[in-house]
Amino acid sequence: MTRYVMIADLNRCVGCQTCTAACKHTNATAPGVMWRKVIDVEWGEYPDVERLFMPVGCQHCSDPPCMHVCPSTATGQREDGIVTIDYDLCIGCSYCVVACPYQARYKVDKPHFAYGDTPTETEAKRYDEKRIGVAQKCTFCSDRVDAGVEKGLTPGVDPDASPGCVNACIADALHFGDIEDENSNVSELLAENSWFQMHEELGTETGFYYLWDQEPPEETESE
Amino acid sequence: MQTKPKETCPDIKKVSTYCYQCVNGPDLLTVEVIDGVATKVEPNFDLKGEHPADGKICVKPFGLVQKLYNPHRLKKPMKRTNPKKGRNEDPGWVEIEWNEALDIVAEKMNAARAKGIQDENGNPRLAFTTGGAATPFKYMGSFPALLFAWGPFDQSLGAGGTVKCYHAEHMFGELWHRAFTILPDTPRCEYIISFGNNIDASGGVTGVRRHADARKRGMKRIQFEPHLSITGANATEWVPIKTKTDSAVLFSMVHVLLHEHSIDELDYEFLRDRTASAYLVGPNGFYLRDPESKKPLLWDNKSNKAVPYDTPDTDPAIVGNFTVTNAVEIGADDENWVYENIQADTGLEKAKQLVAERTPEWASEISDVPAETIRRVTNEYLSHAHIGETETIDGREIPFRPVATVLGKSVNNGWGGYECVWAHTMMQVLVGALEVSGGMLGSTTHLAGDTDWDRTLTVDIGEDGFMSHTFTPTSKEEWNDAPINRHAQDCLTPMAGKNMGAQLFGSTTLAWLRLQERAAESWKKPNPPDVWFVYKCNPAISFSETDKMNDIMATFPFIAAFAYTFDETNHYADVLMPEATDLESDQVLRIGGGHYFENHWESEGWALRQAVVPPQNDAKDFSWIANELARRTGLLEAYNSVINGAGCGIPLQGEGYDYSLDITKENSQEEIWDAVCKAATHDLTEGKEVHGLDWFREHGYKTRPYSRLNWYLHPLIEDKKLRYELPYQERYFRMGKELANRLHETGVHWWDRQLAEYQPLPIWHDLNKLWDELIEKNHNVKAADYPYWLLTGRSMQYAWGANVGIQMMKEVADNVFGHDGIIMNAGKAEELGINDGDEIEVTSPIASTRGIARLRQGVRPDTIVMIAQFGQWKTPFAKDLKRTGVNKLVPMNQDYIDGGGSSIDGTKVYITRVGAA
Amino acid sequence: MNRFFAIRQTCWDWRAAGNFMFGGTGSALMLMIAIASYPDTPSLPLGLVALAFIGLGLFMVWLEIGKPWRFLHVYFHPQTSWMTREASVAALLFPIAFVGVIFKIPLLITLAGLLGLLFLYCQARILLASKGIPSWRESTTLPLIISTGLVEGTSLLLLSYIFSDSIQGWAIYLLLVLLAVRGQSWIKYRQQLTTAKAPKQTLSVLNSINTLVLWPGNILPFILVGTCLLLSNFTNIFITIASVLAILSGWHMKFTIITRAAQQQGYSVGKLKRGRPVIKPPVKRKPERFVL
Repeated sequence: MTRYVMIADLNRCVGCQTCTAACKHTNATAPGVMWRKVIDVEWGEYPDVERLFMPVGCQHCSDPPCMHVCPSTATGQREDGIVTIDYDLCIGCSYCVVACPYQARYKVDKPHFAYGDTPTETEAKRYDEKRIGVAQKCTFCSDRVDAGVEKGLTPGVDPDASPGCVNACIADALHFGDIEDENSNVSELLAENSWFQMHEELGTETGFYYLWDQEPPEETESE
Repeated sequence: MQTKPKETCPDIKKVSTYCYQCVNGPDLLTVEVIDGVATKVEPNFDLKGEHPADGKICVKPFGLVQKLYNPHRLKKPMKRTNPKKGRNEDPGWVEIEWNEALDIVAEKMNAARAKGIQDENGNPRLAFTTGGAATPFKYMGSFPALLFAWGPFDQSLGAGGTVKCYHAEHMFGELWHRAFTILPDTPRCEYIISFGNNIDASGGVTGVRRHADARKRGMKRIQFEPHLSITGANATEWVPIKTKTDSAVLFSMVHVLLHEHSIDELDYEFLRDRTASAYLVGPNGFYLRDPESKKPLLWDNKSNKAVPYDTPDTDPAIVGNFTVTNAVEIGADDENWVYENIQADTGLEKAKQLVAERTPEWASEISDVPAETIRRVTNEYLSHAHIGETETIDGREIPFRPVATVLGKSVNNGWGGYECVWAHTMMQVLVGALEVSGGMLGSTTHLAGDTDWDRTLTVDIGEDGFMSHTFTPTSKEEWNDAPINRHAQDCLTPMAGKNMGAQLFGSTTLAWLRLQERAAESWKKPNPPDVWFVYKCNPAISFSETDKMNDIMATFPFIAAFAYTFDETNHYADVLMPEATDLESDQVLRIGGGHYFENHWESEGWALRQAVVPPQNDAKDFSWIANELARRTGLLEAYNSVINGAGCGIPLQGEGYDYSLDITKENSQEEIWDAVCKAATHDLTEGKEVHGLDWFREHGYKTRPYSRLNWYLHPLIEDKKLRYELPYQERYFRMGKELANRLHETGVHWWDRQLAEYQPLPIWHDLNKLWDELIEKNHNVKAADYPYWLLTGRSMQYAWGANVGIQMMKEVADNVFGHDGIIMNAGKAEELGINDGDEIEVTSPIASTRGIARLRQGVRPDTIVMIAQFGQWKTPFAKDLKRTGVNKLVPMNQDYIDGGGSSIDGTKVYITRVGAA
Repeated sequence: MNRFFAIRQTCWDWRAAGNFMFGGTGSALMLMIAIASYPDTPSLPLGLVALAFIGLGLFMVWLEIGKPWRFLHVYFHPQTSWMTREASVAALLFPIAFVGVIFKIPLLITLAGLLGLLFLYCQARILLASKGIPSWRESTTLPLIISTGLVEGTSLLLLSYIFSDSIQGWAIYLLLVLLAVRGQSWIKYRQQLTTAKAPKQTLSVLNSINTLVLWPGNILPFILVGTCLLLSNFTNIFITIASVLAILSGWHMKFTIITRAAQQQGYSVGKLKRGRPVIKPPVKRKPERFVL
């Protein structure tokens, strides 16, 4: 079987937002919608401060709360672990948005564009009516993965079978691949490095791993 | 909303091009075009394995699609109808046809030329300004050829250069090791000491990738800076040093190496053979020279006497004091002294004396950095230097010294810049880690030669065993007493040299100050240029003391602006010409080799930027504009001749090939670039594979291998038996003395503060004290009322992209902390009763600005930071962001300009909460 | 515990809050009128008021959803979605209650009362399943949401008694007990959120309404109702004030929990692990089963 996961190496990430921008290009998301973004956080107290950049987005959980709560079955899951949204089924109730502990989901209620109500030529070309009023989020670029696999390419290795953010990452921080293949890029990275999964205590069993080499801070909260 | 009907079979193609919005490029990419509409940008994956970052591109090119279709773009050329210029005047723009626009511009050019190419002050009547560290020149197609065909043109009206650049590093770096900028040999480096160098935000794709790989490999980076930057975030250690005290820490590090270690623990061989450490210095500060040959002397332990530096089979003493039997000393203006039995220190001995009192304890008091930290870091640095080890590359054995010290902006420019660049280069020299594997390297040259793609071509044997270098002459016979441009780089800043790019390194601040009659009091106020071209820059926002910049621009008689949208500078223009942007225009450029910061490849070649879609609206390709203006100004033949020379990057005629253009006719942009493509591939493949424009349109680029050995100067220096001109700066010292003589002879005393910097070894200054003094002197305020340093920080998303009006860039950049406000220390804010999100007012001695307080722990309590360059009041989209920047607050003043002509990008300020009683 | 960017959710606003406010009241009222009228049937207006409250809540949600004309899709996921279950219960409750009160069929009224309780339970479970919102997902949300619904329903029933001048003592006793339970649930709820280190902003918002919820919302009605019971004097004005306060307080509390105190989980850095992870297969590989 195949289980696709993503890895973000926090020792490498510099928060440049190239993945954020590449995702916006690849998936033609509306202004303000960032299926992938990198947050910029710090903890500690001057002068003992740690600043960290952390790519976030849908974690493609093995046990996704969003899917369980979805009343319309619009949110689904593939056998390879990719959590999907069927825009034709979704009623836009946003229950998945509040169920997701990763702040990964967006809903756009009416069309809006980079410069107001009129789309630019690219936006007009790529506008998808189906996305209005429904939940949306990172798809792990499943369309690219599927098209690539069909051509015999390896997701995470061949750009044409890999997510846009991974392809774009300039720090080689983002990786994608099949964790059930013991010899895959992602399996090797996890075997060789220390890592964590976000909000492990919530039992979501994410398909997103963070490589990192420092213990987490205690008692930190920032907005 | 209206959408285009879905077509059954869309025409999808991927077009190869490149992004060169910043100096770290060009970065090759592909653009997907669907039914003639550019839809998305992707890296050029074909470069995997060849490009140091596998062909990746940074965040900025992703803004290009929106840049293309931005509805705020100017649709057609425009002319001003309101002759009154001013910030609050409506220019009364009306759209016109290109013919009319070009006629107006050509008429002004012709009129200026008819009056004489230079005005009565000897200044060019035509001036040209651009930004982006001059990379826009690489966007202008054949337009630069027109400028060079024109004759002298003034580039002194800067858009921020010398304030927002690594100025002292440029000047001294090129002199010492052909380093316009410096970089660690990151793929091998083990230990980096950084003073505010923000490489992860400023080093482009290859910089980020190489450093990420190095961190993974275990490379350590110690980051000294007042604000925990993007780069500091990933550093091994952040040391929150007090602003503008870097030179103290650096001097104390040199102290630790020279006074707390024996010379044997350093790279003795390197110091002896590859530097001027052993050269003996006379009582007047110049080298003691052999009376016959006039060559500098060194003390030979073998023969126990002073001998010329190039005497074979010697054992030079690199430290100590010696008695020399016979010597001469040659000073400024050929003044000389003859000695018998004279005592002399070696150059390194002098350096040792310079830092004798500069202990870590001393530096700690000044910088807030614990002495223990300074000592520990310096000793770790030394232990990582692997002194004695070598690496073999392509059969050549070179030293392996994997340590580097790097500096950031406002550390390596302005007052203190000389101290810092000297001390950090000495850190390299003392352990032999200059221009060798793993150590600190230079990137490219702009001052030492016009071959910015290959600095090794500039390594020639010069005087006294050093590399040759071009300075502007300071001798009585050759010094130019009438400045040829408005910042007088040829008169005042001899280190800028006289090559093609020299103008860019004179004091551009001085040019603007002179136009405002605020500097160079004994000189006549210069006239503004009759014709001022501006392109891809916005000095009304990006330079310092911007309120005054606006006022002076309003007095310029004719401004022709290449204009993407309305902006704060072209608000004062007379004609606006919408040029084709990145994805709409053609140009052929070199790629690879050794380039700028961290852009060292193991291949080199050429790439094409091409119009992936036709220009929007009525925008025109720069080469078309150049052709039209060349014809209208009667310069066609001269312009074509420049193109045939190397006006488009390579001579069109060379050994075994001739692709030169007919100089009598107007050649289309396709004809020009086709010829360039052919000449380039001919040169690259020695004629084996010649490709024209059509081939490049399909394939994008062509490369050949480039040996890593070319990354290092060491083999060349060794082969040519050259020495790096360190530690002692005799030439610089002499130049300063001569310049002082020249200026004083012509009654100029207002440059004395700058002249004082021309010391053979940099004298340490307390820069915080200096700033306080200068504020009080110049602005009639109490320095104590301005307790905070205001600094800026690099935004990778915005820097040099001319993309402040691009919605997507704002959206993604806002994920990086501080873009939307003013970063200040959370503890200090609490003390002042300021909450995150409160509006605060920041006041410098010259102006105030307001913004939102954004609180963080990772910034010193005495420092605040404004990221990027905001403050737009005209640029569409950007003006509605209501963000602020440092530029309005940073004073322009002759006193803040250092000896080389640069000043820092910061100022002292105070803060108040808006609405606070 | 580290938490970054726990910003407030904005997808569910006053419209979604309306469902919890009015739906909770209406469903509990349905239960209460079923109890009150047992073994008979309630008056038509009272039955319609209960349904109107539930209907108003659902209408407000309908206003919020992005694709209102696809509302029937809400029934597609009874296996695990408490929203499907809530909608299904409502779909049964409406016809059963309607027919029950029109045709005065006691069995249907009993059934409607039980469905009302089930509806209320579903609402609480909707919040409980929202793993992204720390102030909703903790176990004490369940008794709080149910107890406040019951308080509101009982209070509304009492108001109807006062309106029809037919007050019944058991309902006052019940309100007294429910107020105590709700007050206790509120205290426990806040304690649990503090222990679970809910976002600071959440705790601060809840803290800011604490006095209002406890004193005029629970203690004052408790005293008023208690006084009536002690004096065996069911003073209408006391009961009216107590009931109105209890209802408004419940609505205010729920509105606050759904909107202002609904900070999201935020992001965090987790505890480090080494070695190849134990891979849990995606749950969808197993046939979906009914999960309570």
